[in-house]
Amino acid sequence: MKILKPKILVQKKIALKILNLKIAKLTTFIVLLFIGNIAISQTVDVDGFVRSYGGVTYKDGDFAILQQTLNLNFEKRGEKIAFKANPLVYFYNADSLNIGMREIYMDMYFDNFDIRIGKQQVVWGKADGVFITDVVSPLNLSEFLLPDFDEIRTGVIAAKLNYYIGDGSLEAIVIPQFTPTVRPDANSIWYVQPDFPVQPTFNWSESKVKPSIENSELFLKYSAMTSFLDFEVMGGYTWDDNPMMHVEKVIDKSTGKPVLSGLNITPKHHRLTVAGASFSTDIKGVILRGEGAFYNGKYYQTTDVKAIDATVQKNYINYVAGVDFNIGNVKLSTQFIQKIILNHDDLMIENKTNNTATFMARYSALRETLHFELFSYVGIDNEDALIRPKVTYDYDDSFSVLLGGNVFVGNEEGSFGQYSDNSMVYSKFKYNF
Amino acid sequence: MKNILTTAVLLFVIVLGANAQITGNEIVEKAYNLPSGEDQSSVLKMTLQNKQGSQRVRVIKQFNKDFGKVEKKIMFFQSPADIKNTSFMNWSYSTDKNDDQWIYLPALKRTKRISSDSKSDYFMGSDFTYDDLGDRKLSADTHKLLKEETVNNVDCYVVESTSKDVEYMYSKTITWINKETFVGVKKEFYDEDEDLLKVLSIKKVEKIADFFIITNSEMKNVQNGHSTLIELSDVEINTSISSSKFTERMMMRGM
Repeated sequence: MKILKPKILVQKKIALKILNLKIAKLTTFIVLLFIGNIAISQTVDVDGFVRSYGGVTYKDGDFAILQQTLNLNFEKRGEKIAFKANPLVYFYNADSLNIGMREIYMDMYFDNFDIRIGKQQVVWGKADGVFITDVVSPLNLSEFLLPDFDEIRTGVIAAKLNYYIGDGSLEAIVIPQFTPTVRPDANSIWYVQPDFPVQPTFNWSESKVKPSIENSELFLKYSAMTSFLDFEVMGGYTWDDNPMMHVEKVIDKSTGKPVLSGLNITPKHHRLTVAGASFSTDIKGVILRGEGAFYNGKYYQTTDVKAIDATVQKNYINYVAGVDFNIGNVKLSTQFIQKIILNHDDLMIENKTNNTATFMARYSALRETLHFELFSYVGIDNEDALIRPKVTYDYDDSFSVLLGGNVFVGNEEGSFGQYSDNSMVYSKFKYNF
Repeated sequence: MKNILTTAVLLFVIVLGANAQITGNEIVEKAYNLPSGEDQSSVLKMTLQNKQGSQRVRVIKQFNKDFGKVEKKIMFFQSPADIKNTSFMNWSYSTDKNDDQWIYLPALKRTKRISSDSKSDYFMGSDFTYDDLGDRKLSADTHKLLKEETVNNVDCYVVESTSKDVEYMYSKTITWINKETFVGVKKEFYDEDEDLLKVLSIKKVEKIADFFIITNSEMKNVQNGHSTLIELSDVEINTSISSSKFTERMMMRGM
């Protein structure tokens, strides 16, 4: 019996998991059927895609990802009102179902202004693949930076007002409930185990921000598209999407000599105030882009023994400068990104500056049915990189096949080099409807 | 600049009072500069067909308006599914200033300024380059009247246009223009080796709101057998399209 008990427990757990999965599947089916019926009866536009995505690490041949996706867009647009619902169903491996509503909102159109209420993705700025003034919608980094950029942002429940003046627009956003960055699970290949000198104890009681008027996030942006220049000026009273780890050391003095015996870690989000701007312009066929922001109130970790909870508050700036241009039929783009911590001191764990570059080359052949693309992040300080070549063939207008690679190279201390074991080749089969 | 797609029309709009002493440059200039209405909207269907007969179809709703010094055009892609709700906006200027172009990708939720430098790129995999569709400035070519000829019972001027840029993708084009109406009838495109590359045939011209509009035309690549059929429908002219139609707001919101 002593041996059987755990077996029974395990079997019960598995049975429960299967039951939950079946319930989730059934719920999904019912919801989709319900929405589908409404869509048909209300002549709602329905489109979306089905995608099969598999990736295998070439170091050990493990399947790093086996994902089946159903993306649905339900839209109805009128002269004065519109709505959109975008449920997304991810089925991982053979036993994990992830259902989400990426967006669900209503639009109201007036003569000079529009209002959007509901869960929505907001994209700001002019940079590609980096997020500087694009701070309204948090990121889902559960698969690092690998998801397509339309899938890496998470929706936020918000009220958005756009007021239009000529070619310009004033945009105001209120987010009543803060949503943090989604981090990889502890069993994910993208999870980086923090290095602690002793076993830490985590206190998660302060890790969530209670939804309230006081804790709301506010964003404001003015943007304009003119014949000379496109630009945006923005400000935000937000929360840091990444929690700060407040560390309290437990010292054992029982032996007479103080010894570090434990760490009490309290993850906590802090307010952040952001002000920034971006622009893009065309100079003789070359697109110049720039974006920068000043962040006030960011917490960093420090080794300074006098610091409270091993943290220190500093301001920082982050900016990008980039160009897009063509050589023959090849479209090229490159960006330089720099982050600078102001009033930096040597006891801080993070370096004063962080320099990154991106490169992109794209070429289409066979009447835009065969696409070659190479995108790369390069960590200049650590001499590491993520190189992402891919080839896409559009078998017809609705079906495409993609073969690609995610190659992590360089110093394993760097943001990209640390994933050198995760370099992979992958394929995506996608049907649009 | 004249618009993409429907603006091929401008080459073929009617003009009266043709002059027997007319030069090649005057013929093309008159056709190019003829009024085509203050604004226009239409649905454009583009059918791409390869040598084996396999077809791909693109459908676009488009609006354009002449603001005097600038002509603005906005296009909303309706099919195929993978580009549905993508929009494209072009502002072209009467001066030598390059066009301004933006594209809105609904998946990325972002309007991006793009380079208008790629006039020789083919539009959406079709047999039309952006230049073929009307993006090319008159002053970019030298126009010479070759002869007068009757094609399909229509008396035409035959004008040869040669690029001032020796690197240009066409060594020359030859255009047949109706002597009476100045509506185009046919155009041949020659590659860098001076071999015939493509032939544009005007298949149907309709009179809409007192303007002659080409509603059916075909571009055939004679070297590889690929062809593109362009059909215009729901054409409306001078309906006082609001200037607010040509803004980022509409690019993101859709039609």
